[in-house]
Parts: sequence; structure tokens; C-alpha cells
Amino acid sequence: MATAQLETPIAMLTEPIQAWRTWTLRGSRDGSEVRLTPIAGDGRPWPPRRAAEASCTRHRSHVRPEFGCTCGLHAVERPDELRRTRDPAVLGTVALWGRIVEHEHGFRAALAYPQRLRLLCYLCFSLWGRHGPGDCEVVVRHRGGRMVPLCGPHLELSRRYEYRMPRILQARPVESALLAAYAVDLLRELDRPNRGAADLTLS
Amino acid sequence: MDIGRPQRIIEVEPVSLPLPETVPDLEPAIPDPAPAEPDRSRTNG
Repeated sequence: MATAQLETPIAMLTEPIQAWRTWTLRGSRDGSEVRLTPIAGDGRPWPPRRAAEASCTRHRSHVRPEFGCTCGLHAVERPDELRRTRDPAVLGTVALWGRIVEHEHGFRAALAYPQRLRLLCYLCFSLWGRHGPGDCEVVVRHRGGRMVPLCGPHLELSRRYEYRMPRILQARPVESALLAAYAVDLLRELDRPNRGAADLTLS
Repeated sequence: MDIGRPQRIIEVEPVSLPLPETVPDLEPAIPDPAPAEPDRSRTNG
């Protein structure tokens, strides 16, 4: 009975929920074509200019996101909660809509689209969160297309420790290509999402 | 990412979708009409 009650939508909104998430990045050799890819899950890139749709790799038949499952497009309320994510390359705000399961610290949504994005030095982000010291200077492109943005000091550190860097691209054109592909603006330091759910109106 | 335990379900039906505006199609949706046949009724030939 309790489960049935929880699975019934209890709030209806007409404004998308704004939240935060990180992605990994994949791109072409010259960095002109880049795509956001989820850090966990099925690894399919988020499509440019149309909504990303939730899928479930465990139960294909149930509604997505299911209340008792882990499926759905994940996002969190506060960006510092993303500091422990594995090797993020892009930080951004994201709009969520459709069916959404609200959690203690974030959301799982049926539909989502990025709103503002910026490249992220994952070493800075794990140390200092989004208030890290600097912008990314380069993007290291690995074989297979995975891209790893780095700030200047961490690029030097990577060289000193002989981190494999098959191809090094300037970060600014890669970031511009990313913003153009998804037709979104740059995430600046003081940008904060307007959390639509903060003033939920029960229907 | 750890988002904690599920609390409740929300349905969001946005009035306008938070997607980039589509670039207007510059091609005319309806093809231009074919040029009219010359009015031969006035010609003397």
C-alpha cells in the first residue's frame, strides 16, 4: 500500500526542474565534434538539440524512472555533491522534466537537456569543487575519443609524471564546439540554477 | 553520484520545452507558383 501511494505522482509542475550534473566528453580527433556522455549507465551520448531520454538496462518494460529502481537521468541539487564523481570532464546545469523521482539530494528524470556547460579539470574539481583556481587550458584526447580537460598546472604535473597524452588540443575551441553543438551558454562561476522544485505547488 | 533515498514522484509538463530553438527553415514551405503562361489573346500572330 505504501509503495502504491509513493508511486502516485503527488506534485505537478509546469516549470522544468533545474539541477546540476557532470558528464564525460568524447570527440573527434580535431575536437570539432564533441558529445556529452554519461559517467555511468549505457554510455550513449546525449543528443544535441533534442531531449535525452531515460532508459533502463535492468527492466526494459517498466516506467522510467521507476520509483524503486536506479534508472533515469541523474542530477543533484548542489554542485559540490558531484566532486566525488569519477573523472568528470564537463560540469553543467540541466533542465529536467517529464516523470521525475525526487531523492534526498537530487533527482532521476525521464527527460533532460543541458542548459549551461563548462569544461572541468577533474583534478581541480576533486580538490576544490567548482571554485577551483583556473580555466582549462588543454583537452587531452585519448584513442577511442575520450577527452580529458586539464588546467595549466595539472597539465605540467601530468607531463612530469608521464601521464599518457596521445593528442593535446587547445581547450577553448573544444569548449566552443561543445556549446555550439548543444546550442547552450557557458556556465560562469556565479551561475546558479533556479530550482523549480523549491516552490513546488501540490496539485 | 549519491542522490540519497527516493522521496516522491513529480510530474513536470513544461509550458515550453527547455530546448534550443530550432533554426528557421529558410526554404519556402510552399514552392513558388510556376510562371504564368504569356497572354496570347492580345498577340496578333
